[in-house]
Amino acid sequence: MATLTRSQAEELLFREALLIDTRRYDEWLAMFTPDIEFWMPAWRNETETTTDPDRELSLIYYKGRRNLEDRVMRLTSGLSTASSPPPRVVHVISNVLLTAGDADTAEVSAVFTCHRFDVRMNRTECFFGRYEYALRRESEAWLIVRKKIVLLNDVIPTVVDITSI
Amino acid sequence: MSIDTAAYVDDRPDEGIFRVNRAIFTDEQVFEAEMARIFEGGWVFLGLEAQAPGPHDFFTTFAGRVAIMVQRDGEGVLRAFVNSCPHKGARLAQTQAGNARLHVCPYHSWSFDSAGRSKAVKWQKAGCYSAAFDQQDHGLAAVPCFENYRGFLFGSLSADVPPLANYLGEAAKLLDLVADQSEEGAELVPGQVTFTYQANWKLQLENCSDAYHFTSAHPSYIRVLERRQQETSGEVVASVWENSDYWKEETQGVGGGSYSFPNGHVLNWGVFGITPAIPLYESAAVLAQRHGESKRDWMFNMRNLTIFPNLQVAENASSQLRVIRPIGPGLTEMRTWCIAPKGESDAARRQRIRQYEDFFNPTGMATPDDTVSYENCQIGYAGRVDPWLQGYARGMTASVEGGNRFSDRIGLTPARSVLADSQLCDETLYHAYYRAWAERMGGAE
Repeated sequence: MATLTRSQAEELLFREALLIDTRRYDEWLAMFTPDIEFWMPAWRNETETTTDPDRELSLIYYKGRRNLEDRVMRLTSGLSTASSPPPRVVHVISNVLLTAGDADTAEVSAVFTCHRFDVRMNRTECFFGRYEYALRRESEAWLIVRKKIVLLNDVIPTVVDITSI
Repeated sequence: MSIDTAAYVDDRPDEGIFRVNRAIFTDEQVFEAEMARIFEGGWVFLGLEAQAPGPHDFFTTFAGRVAIMVQRDGEGVLRAFVNSCPHKGARLAQTQAGNARLHVCPYHSWSFDSAGRSKAVKWQKAGCYSAAFDQQDHGLAAVPCFENYRGFLFGSLSADVPPLANYLGEAAKLLDLVADQSEEGAELVPGQVTFTYQANWKLQLENCSDAYHFTSAHPSYIRVLERRQQETSGEVVASVWENSDYWKEETQGVGGGSYSFPNGHVLNWGVFGITPAIPLYESAAVLAQRHGESKRDWMFNMRNLTIFPNLQVAENASSQLRVIRPIGPGLTEMRTWCIAPKGESDAARRQRIRQYEDFFNPTGMATPDDTVSYENCQIGYAGRVDPWLQGYARGMTASVEGGNRFSDRIGLTPARSVLADSQLCDETLYHAYYRAWAERMGGAE
């Protein structure tokens, strides 16, 4: 079978962004394998992020889609002050590159900016950084096995949830 | 600057009245006086000794608005300096932490050794300086008071303060509960998280001690806990809360309470029990041997500690060290770390970190519901039709002088205490904050 093309990789990343931006969370979760590693490291100092999630702190670290389902449940529960009304977000994704791959796996890097308008506080913020994806082909579809988000502006203005990274 | 503290804190114990005026959170002149009298006029927490473990290590922080550098010299002596070159005032150390035998100012190259002494004034001989200049000390300005309590470093920009031991008083025993979890003491897990919120610093002070908000502000998190209880699996973050009834509405009987101490230190606590959900569980037996069962049990209790005005150690869902940095009346920066006993097992450390991220991070599932609530409060404080807040009255008839049978177990003598079931949710512990505030803010300069 053919390896993943860059245009397929872009399609997948752009689609993921659209699903988050339009709050279609069930479809978003369906893009992940059940054993997804979803990781946003913290910064160890001015120039290095943490690298070992078991010995060092991350901003977010989950192993397993089930944990992301928890996050979505909280976001959509109507019971979280910080999540309602939901902020308006747009992800802009660029610089998509295939960095490794074979017939059934692929690694993709990309950059993102996420613009967030916090309707509650009339506040506009921009978060930016890099993505590293590992993908796996499962019965014709490419699913996300690993998503690493390196958030470059990591002084958090009150809240950053899974929707604005 | 003199502040009429009675305009902000209405403290009439004989009449059962304690009220705080909304203006205490918003007035510019109050903020200025807080910086001068509290944050830059007395003891504040600077950091942990473990942040500068080796010769010539340093870390930077703030005391109020003043940039501070804590530096260890080649002989191992720790000192604290104002992080500012005496020449033109430029910030000297640029990073959160590092190692430097010599600090060279990036602006005009004046240099200082790791004991803060001046090493060189660039081109001094050619500088046509006056004799008066040459006789001056060109070293870094030392923070007038700097003391180490069991690895917790405190400094005061005013020399007119009691010794640190007197300032901490009995509350020092609560720092012991953190320091004594390992024979080697405590350390910060690599990876610092900083966040800001658009509200007053005292909201963070109060929220740490606030048992009343948990089921109201965090129902979405409680739902997640319930879901995890129903479908446990290996990949789910094991939560401390899951194994406790502490947060449940229907819980009966004494579940904890509060202690308050002179100088504004406060503890809010609850019984968690010796459970495997707490990473310290692996050390339960050895800690009991080393410190006795009573002190060991206290290490396993849920404890939210404030050392007034800027240090909080929260041991509930995990273990967090927070440093509060007020930036303006309506803007606060929080620097936060996972604090952990040195030498714990890999499994315990991983569990502690997962629990921490899940609950404490501004990218997690609990803290944002707090900080957004602070912002909602700050917006509400503009209302002055009814300026006196009613949030300091729960527990008024339960608060007693001295301690109780729980504090007696570790020989702890607080100024006041409340023993509470889960629905009492004492608010009188905040009185300690505002009484200390009024003491420091009132009277002559």
